[in-house]
Amino acid sequence: MNRPRTPAAIILIWLPVVITAATWPTWSDRLPDRMATHWNGAGAADGFSSSSGFWTAMLVLGVVAGMAGIVIALRAGGAYGSRYLLGAAGALAGSTAGVWVASATATLQSPGDPRLGWRLLYFVAGLGWGAVVALVAGSLPSAVQPPAPAVAPLDLAPTERAAWSTTLRAPLILALTAASAVLIAVVAAVGAAPIWPLAAVPVVIGLVFGRLRVTADRRGLRLVAGLLAVPLKTIPLTDVAGVEVTEIEPLEWGGWGYRVTPGRAALVMRRGPGLVVHQTNGRRFAVTLDDPRTPAALLTALQLRSG
Amino acid sequence: MLFRVDVAAAEPLADQIAAQVRGGIMRGELAPGDRLPAARELADVLDVNLHTVLRAYAKVRDEELIELRRGRGAMVRGDADPARLRLVELARQFVGEARRQGLGDAEMLAMMREAQP
Repeated sequence: MNRPRTPAAIILIWLPVVITAATWPTWSDRLPDRMATHWNGAGAADGFSSSSGFWTAMLVLGVVAGMAGIVIALRAGGAYGSRYLLGAAGALAGSTAGVWVASATATLQSPGDPRLGWRLLYFVAGLGWGAVVALVAGSLPSAVQPPAPAVAPLDLAPTERAAWSTTLRAPLILALTAASAVLIAVVAAVGAAPIWPLAAVPVVIGLVFGRLRVTADRRGLRLVAGLLAVPLKTIPLTDVAGVEVTEIEPLEWGGWGYRVTPGRAALVMRRGPGLVVHQTNGRRFAVTLDDPRTPAALLTALQLRSG
Repeated sequence: MLFRVDVAAAEPLADQIAAQVRGGIMRGELAPGDRLPAARELADVLDVNLHTVLRAYAKVRDEELIELRRGRGAMVRGDADPARLRLVELARQFVGEARRQGLGDAEMLAMMREAQP
């Protein structure tokens, strides 16, 4: 927590959680056992839950968001992308409190026929709370970017040609894909509520990110999403200012998966060794690799040859 | 894994690429089930003829290290055995050196037998 405003951001993340917790004692005796928690398009309540259960669920989600905020602050320190993660935690905390306040006040207003109406704004404001948190967390004073440390080039003879490629696998993502596919099949079979579009999201993510091919050669660095062969990222050799072999701390790069933060982008599959490419336009791109030294040495050699 | 070919070397380019695949499997950089780069792509980035890469892949397939499937590319076989591959590689070197020295099959086999402790 080497940034003075991070503690303030943490407090802001917890604020909606406090609201959720504090409103229960004043509202609980006036709330029915089962309260409206879902509304249809016409504005009439069509879903009901146990009041205490619903409150507990919203509170727990808020607490999880608050704890996540603390973990992010401690783990990422003042790292670059942590501002957005803190904002996301704030949005989660805010929106759960918003859902609770909107549902509870609607039920309190007219227990017989609770109407959501404008109270939807509580939820929207809760989501917007994330932006407030991100704003307060602030950006790091733009540090002078150190030049990429030199990597020893691969010893390529003038008559030699070389290319490097590897396949990245994300076992967790593939497992989630499989689990989601099974879930979709089960839901479709029992004909339950149409939640399958939600479950389809991990399947699509799995198809895109489940297997990735990373290549380094005379074209530069390329990332191609394996199963559908979608090109994710191409950095031509002429745009490479330098390469760096380093340990990738996911929270410093904005989390896991394909992350874009201002001035930087990264494909982070896990914590561990990775390759960072410094581009001539000042942007940086990182990818986690088991053996980042070989592509780093190759790109350096190819760059020296072309330059 | 790294593919490197030397256009000035005496060894044919296809043999060089085949040797790289073998080396990758031996060093464990290519595990069973891993896919090799598409032949067309590898030919493009190494600036060699597509048929050179296809010849190299076919050679490694004939050694029962990879399988080639139309439309699915080249994949390291599940039964590709790095330990056995290392032995085959040593035997290849032994036979090559013995031939250069003018030895016949019987003499080579005799040497193998003598090598036993």
